[in-house]
Amino acid sequence: MTPAEIGQRFVAFLGADPAEVESSYGTVTVTVPAQRYAEAAAFAKTTRGLDFTFFDFLTGVDEAEAGYGVVTHLYSPIHRHHVLLRAVVPNEDPRLPSLSGVFAGANWHERETWEMFGIVFDGHPNLVKLLLSDEFEGHPLRKEFLLTSRVVKPWPGGKEPGE
Amino acid sequence: MGLSDQVEVPQPIKFVLNWGRKYSLWVFNFGLACCAIEFIATSMSQHDFIRLGVIPFAHGPRQADLMVVSGTLTDKMAPAVKRLYEQMPDPKYVISFGSCANCGGPYWDSYSVTKGVDQIIPVDVYVPGCPPRPEALLQGIIKLQSMIQDESLKARYAAKPAPALAAAAPVEAR
Repeated sequence: MTPAEIGQRFVAFLGADPAEVESSYGTVTVTVPAQRYAEAAAFAKTTRGLDFTFFDFLTGVDEAEAGYGVVTHLYSPIHRHHVLLRAVVPNEDPRLPSLSGVFAGANWHERETWEMFGIVFDGHPNLVKLLLSDEFEGHPLRKEFLLTSRVVKPWPGGKEPGE
Repeated sequence: MGLSDQVEVPQPIKFVLNWGRKYSLWVFNFGLACCAIEFIATSMSQHDFIRLGVIPFAHGPRQADLMVVSGTLTDKMAPAVKRLYEQMPDPKYVISFGSCANCGGPYWDSYSVTKGVDQIIPVDVYVPGCPPRPEALLQGIIKLQSMIQDESLKARYAAKPAPALAAAAPVEAR
């Protein structure tokens, strides 16, 4: 199935809800409304012809004022095609339905995304810290997170590209 | 320790005692990152630190004299390092191997990396490099052995606070 056809299937599934489909270098990115995220993942997994049965990863992207993006990479071992399923949640109260009911492997990825970005996954069976120590405060992969070492000791070189 | 922590051991005996200790260092490799590979290379036939009396690998911290912390210590791993260090019997020595173990290295500004293993346990010898070559570790071992040779058992054992409370003591104080 070509990227355009994959995109069309998702658009048809979402119906009246807005879906944004982009394709670059043969991989299609489908942006779905946050409240239908788990539903779209289940559709991708169980629909004949799509068969995205392999869950690769789920992660977050801090997109500044636009909110937090959550991207899930799915693969079909039968058809050998990929899709990036994306949803954007607002900066204040970032919430998304959990995929762990659809893909069991999403469980730890959502725990990591929760501790790193502070995105809450509704319906997750065990949303506790995965990699950070229990006493850690804050969400370190957010752009607003301050690195205390850099506050105490300024770095003489360029910190980020363009800075 | 009997008398040795109250009076200075007289010279010929002290020499023999320390000479025996410095060439029988059972090593416990706390390999945490890529520096551990350099450590393993040092233990293998090309560099072969057994010829210096460093014996790989102790079966556990309770059988070890020397701990080599090689690699990036994270805040989450730090309690485990401290706990295993406390399980080692005295006299015990620590070599901090590589930039990460010395000071955090390239992860100096990270949210999760401890800025040096000396924040939690006392370190005897620091080996710089990222990662240091096996020759650097050999040099560090020789440095440690010369320290052990000159060591005063009285100073080491007398009036030592409980291990859990011992702060990172500078090398000279040992």
